[in-house]
Amino acid sequence: MEETKPTLVLERVTKRFGGFTAVSDLSLQVRPGRVFGLIGPNGAGKTTTIRMIVNITAPDSGRIELFGQQMNTALQDRIGYLPEERGLYKKMRVGEQLRFFAELKDLRGAEADERIDAWLKKLELSAWKDKRTKELSKGMQQKVQFITAVIHDPDLVILDDPFSGLDPVNVDLMKQTILDQKAAGKTIILSTHQMEIAEKLCDDVCMINRAHKVLDGRLREIRRSFSRNAVALQFAGGDGLLNDSTLIANVRQHDEEFEVLMAPGASPQALLKRLVDAGAVVTKFELVEPTLHDIFIEKVREAE
Amino acid sequence: MRKFFAVVKREYIQRVRTKFFVVATILGPVMMAAFTIVPAFMFGLRSGGPTRLAIVDQTGKMYERVAKEITSDKRSSRTESATDAEAQPPAGPNNSREQINRAGKMTKPTFVVEQARLDNRSFDEVKKNLEARVERRELEGYVVLPPNLLKDGQPEFRARNTADLFTKENIQSAVSRAVRGQRLVEAGIDEKVVAKASESVDLKTVEAGGKESKGEASFFFVFGIGLLIYMSVLLYGQFVLGAVIEEKETRIAEILFSSMRSFPLMMGKLVGVSLVALTQLGIWAMAFLAFSLWAAGGSSITLPHIPLMLFVYFVAYFLMGYFIYATVYAVVGSMVTTTQEGGQLALPVVLMLVAGFYLSFNIIRSPSSPLAFWASMFPFFAPITMLVRIVTETPPLWQILLSLGIGVATVVGLMWVASRIYRVGMLMTGKKATIPEVWRWVREA
Repeated sequence: MEETKPTLVLERVTKRFGGFTAVSDLSLQVRPGRVFGLIGPNGAGKTTTIRMIVNITAPDSGRIELFGQQMNTALQDRIGYLPEERGLYKKMRVGEQLRFFAELKDLRGAEADERIDAWLKKLELSAWKDKRTKELSKGMQQKVQFITAVIHDPDLVILDDPFSGLDPVNVDLMKQTILDQKAAGKTIILSTHQMEIAEKLCDDVCMINRAHKVLDGRLREIRRSFSRNAVALQFAGGDGLLNDSTLIANVRQHDEEFEVLMAPGASPQALLKRLVDAGAVVTKFELVEPTLHDIFIEKVREAE
Repeated sequence: MRKFFAVVKREYIQRVRTKFFVVATILGPVMMAAFTIVPAFMFGLRSGGPTRLAIVDQTGKMYERVAKEITSDKRSSRTESATDAEAQPPAGPNNSREQINRAGKMTKPTFVVEQARLDNRSFDEVKKNLEARVERRELEGYVVLPPNLLKDGQPEFRARNTADLFTKENIQSAVSRAVRGQRLVEAGIDEKVVAKASESVDLKTVEAGGKESKGEASFFFVFGIGLLIYMSVLLYGQFVLGAVIEEKETRIAEILFSSMRSFPLMMGKLVGVSLVALTQLGIWAMAFLAFSLWAAGGSSITLPHIPLMLFVYFVAYFLMGYFIYATVYAVVGSMVTTTQEGGQLALPVVLMLVAGFYLSFNIIRSPSSPLAFWASMFPFFAPITMLVRIVTETPPLWQILLSLGIGVATVVGLMWVASRIYRVGMLMTGKKATIPEVWRWVREA
């Protein structure tokens, strides 16, 4: 559809550790300027996949192409990486620390200083610039770590579980920052096992489970294709209506709300008409798209 | 390369700026002084007064001579000065001959001698009397000169403390000299001739070819350099180990590896920490030099004359020795997860340096033997063995360059191995590696 070249291509990539296969025959494409979600439970192979993308480890077989080039060391400077396991030099001052990581990405001089100040200001850390890292709270360290990933203005930003350990205020700040990066034309890979977050931020997703790709594509299309004709419903009156099995396949009730799965071939419209005809007072009637979580569970079940 | 320098800079600045570094730099020389001067001082310190001895002279004519020899401070024979050299505390590198003598005097026991006359008493009676006096602590001991001393009689030294080797040595050589002198006089040789004949010879060593010998000072320097390597490796090896392990413990390794290859990272760490070590050693050396100049009153310093080329070799082999063993700590650091484990693993390797010391005793005697050649090519021994060869019988330049080349190659090779182990070990997340695993990692990484 889009004519632009993908930022990143993985082609039949496999990685084994001893007898254990961490990533098996994985192919995916990440398109520029989009947020790509790499989704799966812990131990699915997300981190190994990312490590291959950032050139920490090489695949046993398969091909990785970044910005149209075969993976190489020079490309590392165009990637920003926030690893899952956070780590900063505890005794270094925040400013020095950022300066060091900037230098590792070949960014130095006055430009580095300017960007460090700008980022500290943006993430509300300016007052902490000369403090030792160990004096910072966990959330603040997290933000410093995030700056190390974006300080050199990389074209591809890879964030492994960027929200863990953040309070709600900082989660919002982080989300906004990610969207800013996207608006600035950056490509973002977001790895997480928190599907709700992925749902809100990602344009495309790739789900992996036990080293294998389960499913990938545009999030909107995936959800549409998995639409199961479900309705979230709140009403009063019209008793016994939900027991009609020609219309309704399954009902789950949470407090006041019903989650209704329509019977095959039945339309939600018909249900609404029946409710109104029966004199029920409908306070909520919403077509529900399946969550990523539901889709993931369904796909994993299918595969097994 | 710029990333390598970024790592070097970080390692260096972060360490040099710590309070620990400042304190250690200041306290280092103080401790060093405490460990060298105090024992030497205590060694020289004599507790109590002079050693009181009685002499029972059964020959009837030897007392004067023996008493004179025992109490005399004069060095009249080569044997005695050799004994003294053994008895003195280990000397520093720039000990001049004079200093050795002074140190010898410091430990030389002073004696008070009296004659225990027989005066018609039986020998046993005198002996009993002396035993009693020793018991009452009026005497430290007594010497019995048997009647046939001049032929084949064995003098006896009886003392409360027979473990005092220095006193025993002193008495033995004094009696020997007295007996030798008496024998010569009895053979009809004039006393003055005897005294003159007993004067010792000072062997002057000149290298074949007529060059002035580099002499003892050079040897002191070789062993000094060896000791310096050993000390600095023990001191700073732990820092190298800590630097390598640091990112494992703090999980920073992953970011580092997403930005650079592991080889320049490891090299950067090694070089950064080593520059810290050299900075500290440099400060100490300057302080030492300044102190020496001050102590010498700014005029005549007795620094041994060392040819410039030799000095260059000393520095080169010190650096080689330091780096080779520091690299061992880096390799070990790449395998383990805590510094304690690492120290235990590295120590056996560092002891190879001691093996180099032992080998050098053989090499001094035959500096051009095949053993000497191979020992000076083996990088773990070379810093000491090659230096010994250089000061004894300087080998051809190509051999020196070859051994330095092997040293550099060893450091680079080991660092390469370390960087592979490190990278794979990091991916295995915190698992302690077994040797076969490590071998597999090196091949697979």
